[in-house]
Amino acid sequence: MKKILLACSSGMSTSLLVSKMEEYAKSVGDEIKIWAVGQDQAQSEMEKADILLIGPQMRFMKKRLAKFAEDLKIPVDVIDPVAYGRVDGEGVYRKAIQLMEGK
Amino acid sequence: MNKFMDILENILLPIADKLNNNRYLTALRDGFMVALPLIIFGSIFVVIANFPFLDRLISEDAYKAYQDALGPASSATLSIMGLFVIIGIGYKLTQYYKLEAIYGGVVALASFLILTPQVLGETTGVIPTFALGAQGMFVGIITAFVSAELYRFFVQKNWIIKMPPGVPSAVSKSFSALIPVTLTLTSFLIVRILFSVTSFDTVQNFVYTIIQEPLTKLGSGLPATIVAVLLIQLFWFFGLHGQIVVNSVFDPIWYTLNDQNLKAFQAGQELPNIVTKQFIDSFLVGMGGTGMTLGVVLLIFLIGKSRQTKELGKLGGPAGIFNVNEPMIFGLPIVMNPLVLIPWLLAPVVITLITYFSMATGLVPKPAGVIVPWTTPIIINGFLATGNSWQGGALQLVNLLVVMGIWWPFLKILDKNYYENEKGAVKTNIATQDETINISGK
Repeated sequence: MKKILLACSSGMSTSLLVSKMEEYAKSVGDEIKIWAVGQDQAQSEMEKADILLIGPQMRFMKKRLAKFAEDLKIPVDVIDPVAYGRVDGEGVYRKAIQLMEGK
Repeated sequence: MNKFMDILENILLPIADKLNNNRYLTALRDGFMVALPLIIFGSIFVVIANFPFLDRLISEDAYKAYQDALGPASSATLSIMGLFVIIGIGYKLTQYYKLEAIYGGVVALASFLILTPQVLGETTGVIPTFALGAQGMFVGIITAFVSAELYRFFVQKNWIIKMPPGVPSAVSKSFSALIPVTLTLTSFLIVRILFSVTSFDTVQNFVYTIIQEPLTKLGSGLPATIVAVLLIQLFWFFGLHGQIVVNSVFDPIWYTLNDQNLKAFQAGQELPNIVTKQFIDSFLVGMGGTGMTLGVVLLIFLIGKSRQTKELGKLGGPAGIFNVNEPMIFGLPIVMNPLVLIPWLLAPVVITLITYFSMATGLVPKPAGVIVPWTTPIIINGFLATGNSWQGGALQLVNLLVVMGIWWPFLKILDKNYYENEKGAVKTNIATQDETINISGK
């Protein structure tokens, strides 16, 4: 099972996206775990994830978290702002799958 | 314009990067996060204890007994919030250095208590709670930073008592912390003794007079508040989380001002401050999120014609009620959109002024010092923030109308652009279809 972690300042707005992504994953029959956390928990939660996606408003977190991601050998990406604004669960999900398979 | 925005983004992004990733500010922010559930717990009981009209419904004695019964809920949390922030900072900073974090937390707490006067009037052997709340906030934060740094320094110096293998790890851990803890706390004891011979008498008094009072005075004023508000808006305009950046500097000031009001509110005295943590959270965020975009959502429902804005209204509306507005910010979009820059910057400043002056003139009660979660919907959070008074909710309604008024012309232009584009797109679609038919007809 693939595990996707989303992080923003308090895990609120990314959780909006989580439900849309889950909806899409379910519709294509993927078994997946997706969850959102606040920035203070991002680092510890990363250990349980296969990929970390950061809300664009917190893109300056990437540099700090990328170091830990490298140790864990998981990809980190900043969510595309347009997809974020549209709460485009499908788009973000497919991109995440691509990134995970690309590693 | 584009070039100018590029330049500005190139300035703001590194600032956000620096401030967000600075280990002290991160520890400070996380320290407040640790305290937050307790602060909110205390706030809930302040709200319940001061339920409106209750003092008129039941007898004076019953009301007092009721308040006394609920009192400990807030006096054990909200009123001494400094303690939890200090433990949080000490813990988080030590954790950052990958050392045993809980020691960092308790050492910070003990260091702070060493610096705290342990006398109240003639009574010795007591720790006055006022020193653990607003009044001790700054000295607490500084102490937490310094003690965690000292603790780290002494641990990394490796002056630790090493245990032979075979000793249970918990035992060796408690011993390994012994020397760094002792040296750190001794340093603070020396500082306390040194200060006792100065005219300031205590470190608390020194930090309060030299740092805290001037800073909170500055922070409670209108000019500093407007600068903070504008900075938050500007960061968000570039799609950067403004509060994460700005609040990490302003939160100690805003929380201190908040706590001063709480003390006065509970004592039934006049509230000293207008600008407080809750002033910002309720009146500038609590109306649909940063930039008060609930007004924009309502405008979309009122005058929106284009599919794009209407879709966004449906998407952003429910989230906006709980003050989450990233869909609006990235979807409208507000980010990097010169067309909405004016209302985006102007509306919060106007609302700050209206709110400030309606409180200064006594039209609306000042924030009572409770902390209302920022996800609390409009009107309810204005009501709670002002100590259960309907005027707080009414002010938010007025503010909402003002926001809508400011945004009206700009949203209209934006919506019209989208609408014409959509119409144009439909036309081109039909045209291409016609062509296809023609081609296939041939």
